[in-house]
Amino acid sequence: MVSPVLLIVIPLGLAFCVPLIGMVSKRFARFVPVVACLFNLVVSVQLLPAVLSKPIVVDLGGFGAPFSINLFVGPVGILFSLLIALAGFVVSLYALAYIDKGPTTRYHTLYLLLLVGATGVVLTGDVFNLFVFFEILCISSYVLVAYRGDKDGVESAVKYLIQGALGSALLLTGIGLLYGLFGTLNMAHIAVQAGSADPIPLFVAMALIVVGLGVEAAIFPLNAWLPDAHSSAPSSISAILSGIAIEVGLYAVVRMVFTVFGASSMLSFLMFLGVLTLLVGELCAFAQSNIKRMLAYSSIGQIGLIIFAIAIATSGSITGGFFQLVSHTLSKALLFLAAGYMIYRSGSMDISSLEGMGKRMPLTAFAFAVGAFSLVGLPPFAGFPSKLLIIRGALADGGALLALLVGLVLLGTVIEGAYFFRVIQTVFFKKGDGETARCEAPAIALVSMFVLVALIIVIGVYPSLIIGVLNSAASELLVRADYIGRVLG
Amino acid sequence: MSFLQDYVYYIGAFGLVLIGLFIILSRRNLIKVIIGLSILDTGINLFLISVGYISKGTAPIFSKPGLVAEDMVDPVPQALVLTSIVIGVAVLALALALAMRLHKLHGTLDLRKIGELKW
Amino acid sequence: MRSIAIIILLAIVAVGIGVALMAIPFGVAKTQVGDHYTESGIGDTGASNIVTSVVVGYRAFDTLGEITILFVAAMGLGAVLAGGRKLGQRRDVEPASLILRTGCRFLFPLLLLFGAYIFIHGHLTPGGGFQGGAVIASAFLLVYLSCPGRRVSKVWSQTTESLGALTFVVLGLVGLTVGGHYYLSSFMPHGVVNELFSAGIIPVIYVAIGLKVGSDLTGIIDGMMEETI
Repeated sequence: MVSPVLLIVIPLGLAFCVPLIGMVSKRFARFVPVVACLFNLVVSVQLLPAVLSKPIVVDLGGFGAPFSINLFVGPVGILFSLLIALAGFVVSLYALAYIDKGPTTRYHTLYLLLLVGATGVVLTGDVFNLFVFFEILCISSYVLVAYRGDKDGVESAVKYLIQGALGSALLLTGIGLLYGLFGTLNMAHIAVQAGSADPIPLFVAMALIVVGLGVEAAIFPLNAWLPDAHSSAPSSISAILSGIAIEVGLYAVVRMVFTVFGASSMLSFLMFLGVLTLLVGELCAFAQSNIKRMLAYSSIGQIGLIIFAIAIATSGSITGGFFQLVSHTLSKALLFLAAGYMIYRSGSMDISSLEGMGKRMPLTAFAFAVGAFSLVGLPPFAGFPSKLLIIRGALADGGALLALLVGLVLLGTVIEGAYFFRVIQTVFFKKGDGETARCEAPAIALVSMFVLVALIIVIGVYPSLIIGVLNSAASELLVRADYIGRVLG
Repeated sequence: MSFLQDYVYYIGAFGLVLIGLFIILSRRNLIKVIIGLSILDTGINLFLISVGYISKGTAPIFSKPGLVAEDMVDPVPQALVLTSIVIGVAVLALALALAMRLHKLHGTLDLRKIGELKW
Repeated sequence: MRSIAIIILLAIVAVGIGVALMAIPFGVAKTQVGDHYTESGIGDTGASNIVTSVVVGYRAFDTLGEITILFVAAMGLGAVLAGGRKLGQRRDVEPASLILRTGCRFLFPLLLLFGAYIFIHGHLTPGGGFQGGAVIASAFLLVYLSCPGRRVSKVWSQTTESLGALTFVVLGLVGLTVGGHYYLSSFMPHGVVNELFSAGIIPVIYVAIGLKVGSDLTGIIDGMMEETI
C-alpha cells in the first residue's frame, strides 16, 4: 500500500521541478500541475477503502506519537484530499488554455504549492505543522490574487495579505499559549489533556485560534477581504479560492473546535454565526451588479450554511454539512470557470453585459446554469440532496430555536435563488445588442467544465455514492476518543 | 515586585504585540502597517521563546562535557521561532513587493486614497 | 472615535491574554516533549545541538514546509514585480565609492566561507541552514551595493533553489523506501557525537537548506534591487 505522505510530498517535489522544467520549455511546465493532481487523485482513491475501514496514522521520522509530527488520514482527511485533487485537476486543465499571459511558469508553481498547502492542512495531526501548511496556502494565494498585476488585483492582494497576516499572528499566539499550557503540539496529545485543564486559559487559546483561522474561513465579521480578492483574481484562481481555500480554513476551524478542544459549548455560538454569515452573504450577493463579486458573496453565504450544519453536531447534520461542502466546491468552481470565459469574451464583469451569452456560447452558458441550479438546490443536481439532508438533520433535533434558524436558512436559499435566476434570465432570455457570432470557450476549458457538470449530476442522482464516506467523516468528528486512541495508541 | 520579576518577559512580549496590533489597526500608510506587522511578529517570537525558558537554564547544545539535560531550556520553542521568523520574512518581503507595485499603480501608499474598493 | 474603539478592542485582547498567562508561569519547566528531546536527542538523531535535532530531526516536516514558504515568497516576489517592469529602462546609478568597493571585494569570499561554516556545523554549534543562508545572502547584498550594475545569474540561483529543495524531498523519500520506512527517517549512520561527519542525514539536509536559503534570499534582494534601479 502507498504511504499517504506521498499525497503531500510528490506534488511538493514536482512543484520544485516546475521552474527547472520551465527553463527548458514553458509549454511543458504547464502540464506539471495536471500530472500532480492526477497522481493525488489516483492515490486518494486507492487509499479510500483502507482509510474507511481504519484511519491511517503516519509517523514522520519514526520517533513515536507525541514526539514526531504525524499525519492523521481519516475519512475527513481523505474526503478533503480527494476534493482538493479533483478540483485542482479540473482547474489546472482549464488553466492550460486560460493562463496565457504573464509569468506563467511562476503561476503554475504557485498554484501547485497552494494545493500542497491545502492538502497538508487537512492531513496533518500537529498544531504547528497545520500553521506551517496554512501559511503556504495563504502566501501563495496572496500572490496569485495579484497575478494579473492590475490595480484591483494588487490592491485586494494587499488587503488580503494584511488581514491574513493578522489572522496568522493570532493563530500563532494561540498555538504558543497551547504549548505553554500543555507542553506539546500534537493534536491528540492536547485533546487528551484539554478535558482536565483550567477552562479560562483554554478558552482564550481557542478564541485566538478560531479567530485566526476564521479569517481564512471567511466567517462573518472577518471576511472583508474575500469579495475583493475573489473577484479580482484570475477566474481559475477564484475557482480554487472559493472551492478549496475557504473550505480548508473551515476544516481547520472544525478540527480545532471538535477534535482538539472538544468544545461543545462553543457550538451554539458557531451556529448563530453560521446563520448570520449566510444571511449577510446572500443579501450582499443580491445587491451586486458585478458577476464575480456576486459569486464571491454567495461563497460567504454557502460557508455560513456549512458552518450552521456542522455546528448542530448531530450525525445527520454533519453529513449534510459535508455534502453541502462537496457540492459547493464542485458548483462554485464550475460557476467561476464558466463565468471566466464569459467575462473574457464580453470584456466586462457586469451582469448586464452577459446578455445573449446563451446564444454566443451555449455550452459554457449551459454549464453555468447547471452550477447555479445546483447551488440553489434544485433536483437532480448535487445541491438538492445536501440541502435536504441539512434541513432534515436540523429538524430532527426538534427544538423551536432550530426550527427558526432553519426558517432563516430557507429565506437565504430563496434570496440565492432570486439572484441566480436573474443572471440566468440575462444570459439566456435577453437579446444582446451587438455581436451574435458564436465564440465558444476553448475545447480544453469545456472539457474541464463538463467533468464538473457530470459529477454534479451523478452525485445529485445517486447521492448514496458518497453518503458512506460522509457518514464516517461525521463520526470521526463526533467520536474524539477514537481519534486520540488511534494516534497515541 | 515579584509579579513583575516573574512576568516581565511576558509583559514585554505582549507589549510589542499590542503596539503592533495598534499600528496595524490605526495607521493608514501601508509602509507603517507593514512595520506594525513586523513588530507584531517580533512580539510573538519573544513570547514563544519566553514560554520555553527555564530559570537559570543553558542553551540546549551539548558542546562540552559536563552538561546535563536537566539544566537545559526547552528546545521546541526555539525551533518554532526559527520557523516563525522565516515565515515572517516571507510575508514581509511579499508585502513590500506588493507595496512597491501599489505605489507604481496609484502613486501613493495612503490606504484612504487608494480605497476604490471598500475596506 | 476610531482610536477609542481600537483601544477598547486591544484592552479586551490584553485582558484575555493576561488571564491566560496566569496559568503559564515563567521560568518553570512545563514541557513534556521538550524533556524527551534534551534527554534522548543525541541518541535518536546524533546531533549535539538539540535545537538542530528538533528542527531537522523530530520536526523536519515543519522545516520542509518552511523552506517551501521561502520558495513561495521568492517565486511570488518575482511574479508580483514581473508585471510592472519596463524593458530597457534603467536609471544611471552613481558608482559606489572606492572604500565600499574594495571592502566588499575583500569581505565577499570571507562571508561566503563563514556562511558555509555555519551551515556545515549546524549539528554541532549554534546556527544551521537558515542562518548560514542568510549570511551568504548578505555577501551578495554587499556585491549589489558596491557594484550596482552587477547581477546574479537568474538561471544559476533558480537552479540552486530548486535543487536544494529537491534534495530535501528526495532524502525523505529515500528514508521512506530503504531505511527505517518512515518519511525523513535518519537512515545514515549517526557516527561519533561532536564530530563533523556525524548525525546521519542532518548535515546533508542543512547544506541543501543553506544553499537554497542563500539563493532564495539573494533572489528576493535581486528582485527588490531591480525594481529600484
